[in-house]
Amino acid sequence: MPRVSKRKSDPVKSSEPATKKITKEVERIDSFFASYANTSLGMIDPEGVEKLCSDLSVEHTDVRVLMLAWKMNAKKQGYFTQDEWRTGLKSLHADTLKKLKKQLPELQKEVAMKENFEDFYCFSFCYCLTEDKQKNLDIETACVLLNLVLGRAYNLQVDSFIEYLKFQKEYKVINMDQWTNFYRFCQEIEFPDLKNYDDCLAWPIILDNFVDWLREKSTSA
Amino acid sequence: MSSQKKRNFQIEAFKHRVVVDPKYAEKTWKILEHAIHEIYNHNASGLSFEELYRNAYNMVLHKFGEKLYSGLVSTMTSHLKEIAVSIEASQGALFLEELDRKWTEHNKALQMIRDILMYMDRTFIPSTHKTPVHELGLNLWRDNIVHSIKIQMRLKDRLLELVQRERGSEVINRGLMRNVVKMLMDLGSLVYQEEFEKPFLVVSADFYRGESQQFIESCDCGDYLKKAEKRLNEEIERVSHYLDARSEVKITNVVEKEMIESQMTRLVHMENSGLVNMLMDDKYDDLGRMYHLFRRVPNGLSLIRDVMTTHIRETGKQLVTDPERLKDPVDFVQHLLDEKDKHDKIIHLSFNNDKMFQNSLNSSFEHFINLNTRSPEFISLFVDDKLRKGLKGVSEEDVETILDKVMMLFRYLQEKDVFEKYYKQHLAKRLLSNKSVSEDAERSLILKLKTECGYQFTSKLEGMFTDMKTSDDTMQGFYAAVGHELGDGPTLGVHVLTTGSWPTQLTTTCNLPPEILTVCDKFKTYYLGTHNGRRLSWQTNMGSADIKATFNKGQKHELNVSTYQMCVLMLFNNGDGLSYTEIEQATGIPTVDLKRCLQSLACAKGKNVLRKEPMSKDIGEDDTFFFNDKFTSKFYKVKIGTVVAQKESEPEKQETRQRVEEDRKPQIEAAIVRIMKARRVLDHNNIVAEVTKQLQSRFLPNPVVIKKRIESLIEREFLERDKDDRKLYRYLA
Repeated sequence: MPRVSKRKSDPVKSSEPATKKITKEVERIDSFFASYANTSLGMIDPEGVEKLCSDLSVEHTDVRVLMLAWKMNAKKQGYFTQDEWRTGLKSLHADTLKKLKKQLPELQKEVAMKENFEDFYCFSFCYCLTEDKQKNLDIETACVLLNLVLGRAYNLQVDSFIEYLKFQKEYKVINMDQWTNFYRFCQEIEFPDLKNYDDCLAWPIILDNFVDWLREKSTSA
Repeated sequence: MSSQKKRNFQIEAFKHRVVVDPKYAEKTWKILEHAIHEIYNHNASGLSFEELYRNAYNMVLHKFGEKLYSGLVSTMTSHLKEIAVSIEASQGALFLEELDRKWTEHNKALQMIRDILMYMDRTFIPSTHKTPVHELGLNLWRDNIVHSIKIQMRLKDRLLELVQRERGSEVINRGLMRNVVKMLMDLGSLVYQEEFEKPFLVVSADFYRGESQQFIESCDCGDYLKKAEKRLNEEIERVSHYLDARSEVKITNVVEKEMIESQMTRLVHMENSGLVNMLMDDKYDDLGRMYHLFRRVPNGLSLIRDVMTTHIRETGKQLVTDPERLKDPVDFVQHLLDEKDKHDKIIHLSFNNDKMFQNSLNSSFEHFINLNTRSPEFISLFVDDKLRKGLKGVSEEDVETILDKVMMLFRYLQEKDVFEKYYKQHLAKRLLSNKSVSEDAERSLILKLKTECGYQFTSKLEGMFTDMKTSDDTMQGFYAAVGHELGDGPTLGVHVLTTGSWPTQLTTTCNLPPEILTVCDKFKTYYLGTHNGRRLSWQTNMGSADIKATFNKGQKHELNVSTYQMCVLMLFNNGDGLSYTEIEQATGIPTVDLKRCLQSLACAKGKNVLRKEPMSKDIGEDDTFFFNDKFTSKFYKVKIGTVVAQKESEPEKQETRQRVEEDRKPQIEAAIVRIMKARRVLDHNNIVAEVTKQLQSRFLPNPVVIKKRIESLIEREFLERDKDDRKLYRYLA
């Protein structure tokens, strides 16, 4: 019976400075949010995002913006809700513009970590599905996204694949399955000799066709 | 022998001759030796068997067996040496005769000697492990006669010489040969083999090697085989007459190897007379001979089978890709059947109904029939032709035979679902134009298809028959109920087809003449009145009409036409000189069909009830049409209808093929889902294999298409790829 009161008193005593600190952080994050948010919507809209980017000295098409969206687990492309903002910036420990700018390289490193990258890669696909119930990405957008996300790590494969996507006529869109498998392709298959590619395995047909096209090109070249 | 003087009965102690007497043995032996001489000199009649036996007995008993034995050996040996001399002395042909005679005598002597020395044979010899008398006699003969330097070679040569002469068609003394050969056999199989069989086989091999070379240069395949068979039979006969039976397989092996095995490839491929020529010319005897001869050697039959298979595949491939042949589908299929019959007959008459050959034939047919993607269509057209008119007047048994043959071709098809599509189309046309020769035959074939492919395959087909019957009943009901209202109007016959059972047709536009429309509407009202909740749409592209037309000079004819044709013709009741455009507008018939329809009315000889200007063969959009007053025909009833099953045009074929491909997609997906549901996790190659196996009774799925379907299923979240193992798919419940 008497315990209750004891418990009540403890948190107040021991974490008071902590909560103070937390609340201070939350306050700063919120005001940071407010400086870019569209007040009528209650969230940051594309205009706000653009402003944020220029303040951060990055292009709004820069991959780091996408990484930020991933960190925030943002649902809608071009918009950040307050919750998403809070989530992202809290985990980055960035409550001011200056701190955020400083954290960007850290963010990049974090994304590049093996356990995170695949998640980021898949996220980026979903993030671009702007329409309701949209499941596929048109070839144009897919190519831009591939370049953005994988361009640096696997630039040979990405350049080749983009060329192929633009050349072939069979597929007008890319679906999630094909998207994820391309990443696995980059990871597992030796490029450019493609020695260990076996089309009897469960690769999507678009990649089978891609490999055939590459092999044909190399023999005729 | 000393005779005892007759006295008073006095019994003295029995005193037997004691061993001590050394001379006893010698004396006794001399008696026996003398006897042997006499025997060899053919003076045995003066001897007393009993006395000699006793002497021999006594010798053995008194422990002189050794002396007896060695004496026997030396005596016999010396006699044999004499005999050898006399044999060696004989000339030429007498050599063998002398040998034979002496051998016979020796055997007789030996028997007598053995009888005399039987006690020794039974007691002394076994205990001392010496060779028994009879065997000893044979061994001595062998050593002194057969292995005598002067005789051995001569014997061998003489025997082989006689065999060779006989091979050269000379008549030889077979009895003598038999005796001599039996002599060698009696001396032991080793002797027989060394002195005769081995050299015999070597010489025979050389001989046949030479002969096969000679024949192959000078004979054609059939003749060579006859000669080889003859030689083989000769050798078998030779063995049965005067050689050891166990030599048969050895000498036949020699003949088989030298005459058949070494030449078989050359024979089979011989130009103008080899296997392929024999097959083409139905040379049953030659083929049978080849089969039985080649059967004897390793890989003989597989050689024949391989060459035959290649040949059938080649000719088959030519048949199915020859554009001339493909012009007439019925003829094409008939040729296929003829080819099958021909080869079946060959296998039956010449190849002993050998199952492996039958299998090769089947797999070859399966291979080349499927080389032509139109085979399913053509086989269906063949069946259509038979069921329309080909089986008219044919007995029930023969009908069954023909249908069974069709089924056999059907089994070879890989794309059975394509056949099903065409069969359905053709059946629909047959039923609707009432052109089937025999409903029993139709039903019989459907039953066979059902047995082969299961209920699914034929359920829709049976639905078609049901619809026909139901329609008859409906018509009866219609006329009973509404008949009085119709008056003089046209008589209507309606077949109500259940969508789904019948081949899918796109409903086409067609403006029916008013009198037809009226009665059609009446039917529709009646039907929908009795069948609630159904929808009827007129299939104007599948109907037919009988119309009466009056021509110049009052000639009347009854024309049997398609519905489209009827619509066009009826226009001419209200006008003449109609342009193509006017007709098109009035009837509303789609262009392709209208052109075909007008062509059959205006451009077909003997059926041109319309006249066209200009008189060109093709229908142009500027043409004008006139009622052909001057039309004549021998017959009162003239058939101009175009609802006959025919070979599809290129675009139609493409369309059908597309529809088949579309139909296959859900089937493949269903198979994939079934398999994955059962297995949960499976790798790509195994899925492909399982799907192929499940669907093989209908068609051969393309692995790429299977993969596409898998991807589609992944997109629709029926399956997923395994995150860790590249090869696996998982079923998503």
